[in-house]
Amino acid sequence: MSKRKELEAKLIARLRDDVVCVEKTDPRTIFIDVKRAGIREASKIITNAGARYLCSVGYDNIERDGTLGMIHTFALDDSDQFVCCRTSAPENDAIIESITPDLPSAGWSEREVTDLLGLRFAGHPKPKKLVLADDWPDGIYPLRKDVPHNLVPKGAEDVAYELDEAPPGTKIVPVGPFHPSLHEPEHFAVYVDGETIKGCDYRGFMTHRGIEKLCTTQISYNEVPFIAERICGICGSVHATAFSQAVESAAGLVIPRRAEFIRTMMLEFERIHSNLLWLGVAGHLIGFDTVFMQAWRVREQIMWLCERLTGNRKTYGMILVGGVRRDITPEIADDIRRVMKTIEDDLAIIHRAIEKDTSIHKRTKGVGTITKQQALDWSLVGPVARARGVDIDARRDHPYAAYDEMKFEVPVLDSCDVWATLVIRVIETFEAIKIVRQCLEKMPGGEFFVEMKDSIPAQRHAITVVEAPRGESVHYVITGEDNRPERWRVRAPTFPNLQAVPLMLLDEQFGDFPIIMGSIDPCFSCTDRVAVVDLQTGQASSISKAELDALSRQQQARHASLKG
Amino acid sequence: MWLTSKIKQLLMVMKPGVVTLNYPHERPPVPANLRGQPVFDHQKCIGCGGCSDHCPARCILVRDVCQELRVMLYDGSRCTYCGRCADICPEQAITMSNSFEIACDQKEDITTRMELFMMTCQRCGRCYEMEKTNAIDRINLKGFRYDNLEQRALIRKTSETFDPTLLQQSDQYQRPSTKE
Repeated sequence: MSKRKELEAKLIARLRDDVVCVEKTDPRTIFIDVKRAGIREASKIITNAGARYLCSVGYDNIERDGTLGMIHTFALDDSDQFVCCRTSAPENDAIIESITPDLPSAGWSEREVTDLLGLRFAGHPKPKKLVLADDWPDGIYPLRKDVPHNLVPKGAEDVAYELDEAPPGTKIVPVGPFHPSLHEPEHFAVYVDGETIKGCDYRGFMTHRGIEKLCTTQISYNEVPFIAERICGICGSVHATAFSQAVESAAGLVIPRRAEFIRTMMLEFERIHSNLLWLGVAGHLIGFDTVFMQAWRVREQIMWLCERLTGNRKTYGMILVGGVRRDITPEIADDIRRVMKTIEDDLAIIHRAIEKDTSIHKRTKGVGTITKQQALDWSLVGPVARARGVDIDARRDHPYAAYDEMKFEVPVLDSCDVWATLVIRVIETFEAIKIVRQCLEKMPGGEFFVEMKDSIPAQRHAITVVEAPRGESVHYVITGEDNRPERWRVRAPTFPNLQAVPLMLLDEQFGDFPIIMGSIDPCFSCTDRVAVVDLQTGQASSISKAELDALSRQQQARHASLKG
Repeated sequence: MWLTSKIKQLLMVMKPGVVTLNYPHERPPVPANLRGQPVFDHQKCIGCGGCSDHCPARCILVRDVCQELRVMLYDGSRCTYCGRCADICPEQAITMSNSFEIACDQKEDITTRMELFMMTCQRCGRCYEMEKTNAIDRINLKGFRYDNLEQRALIRKTSETFDPTLLQQSDQYQRPSTKE
């Protein structure tokens, strides 16, 4: 019996009338529509069938039938399938039962939907603001269709985020929003007892740029990949590829095989540069700057190669809906082979020089440990999960682009610490070099772009996953009118991984905070997905919050008048 | 173990030596197909507005000030240098140059403004549609356009014939706000 039939039988047996329909639009995706009363039970049945929770997507359907939609998405890794469980709630009674008590990693997704769409979740253990700013007015839900993308809301005065209560006997150490160990603005309140971390609360989403709203109101399909690329400065191609694949899947467009090979190569270039970048940063965070300098020296080769190939060091701009923009010529192929050889040799030298260094071992072994079961419960992804014995890799489990033809190893270690993450990322760099070579060898000829004959029909749903260097990215697209998506949800790998950081920090030394945090390779901006404003805070002498607010506003007004 | 690692690390650092370029005295090679500052050729431009319609950063604006005169404005301060405008241009009027040292004090130094004299038939946008065969690359904003150039705001309201009231409305454009 097929997986779909099996699931359908189980769902109907347990939920009866609550199941509206089960449909399979393509071999990979199963859509299950359930009434809202059965959503928690349905998600339990799906996870019990061996599915791994990915993310939840909320969408505004008020104009069509007066409801707010909610989709919980899951992956069946052993049979390469995705299960999307859809439900809805009327706008005037926008409340659905929370699935977070069963699946802790759904916590953020649900809080995000509450903030952006005004759909509430009964039984959510922590119904606090997540995405929106503390002074965002109540009752304005930015992702609803009636809210303009460029709305300037009236901010509230004197509102502050209320942190979780500190465990008794602990002191709070605030880390961030601006802190040397964080490369992007986020705030952690770390509860410490002496040097030992006893808990932590997180207030992030300070760089929310409203990308999803922008792309669903302002630009058309083929511009989204360029904005998607700017979700993250490191794994740009990942987001562009994932979006393009989702749209292609919704439109039923088959792209040329050569384009898939070129996409695979771009993704692997990105993995090489990202892993080298992370290796450098990890070295830097534990105070070992030789590793930082040398890893980044090696990385520069790949940056220059990509500049020659795509016209830019990063934000390659290679991916479009329908294929890629530039071809790989025989000359550039020779260039790629030469650079791969240099990187392989240089990285091997670094690897040999650091693998037995006791100072690195002391800082990384046994640090940031969580068990395999905890990693599964919090649905961790990428090297962070693989370092905890969880054998998942979207390239192998849900092959996309040309990965079905590639032969590569997925390194899995079970020491459950930062050291394992480091080893995995070095091994993956070597594997990435192998994949690039296979791509060059096996690449078929022909076109590298296909045009679309008709416009894309509206109201089609599609989901794709792409393995970014730091874990798997999930993109969900609902196609819309006017040549642009109606809803586009991006779940970056840091989204689930960051949720498990408090667990990783528990009972660790405060001095290890930077490297534990760094080990998940956090990309706050892609988690936020939502301009960085440079504000001078004035002198360091004591200043009240109101004064600081006034100063910041003056500064902003000055900036605005300079602009005008 | 510790000592052998340190010796290996010493060799790893010594072999490549100094690799940092002495910029700006020493310049890195600029690849031929770098996506640098876009250059607009007013001789070739037909004013279809395709670049504006497909600019992810929405930094190219189009404003019809009267029946015959169309102003195109490229604001380099918001440009992400993706080169999408050059791709979409049916007349190859935009080229991505390899100039990249374009940091400046005055925004106007990287702003290009073109005033194009338009023939009536060319502004319907149909010519553009014939040029592009890809369904999702066709022009969305057809006809007369009234972007607010001072505020750099792209206005998604167009008209088939020139409409002075829309032009006036565009001058009064303000971002929607819930502030008093």
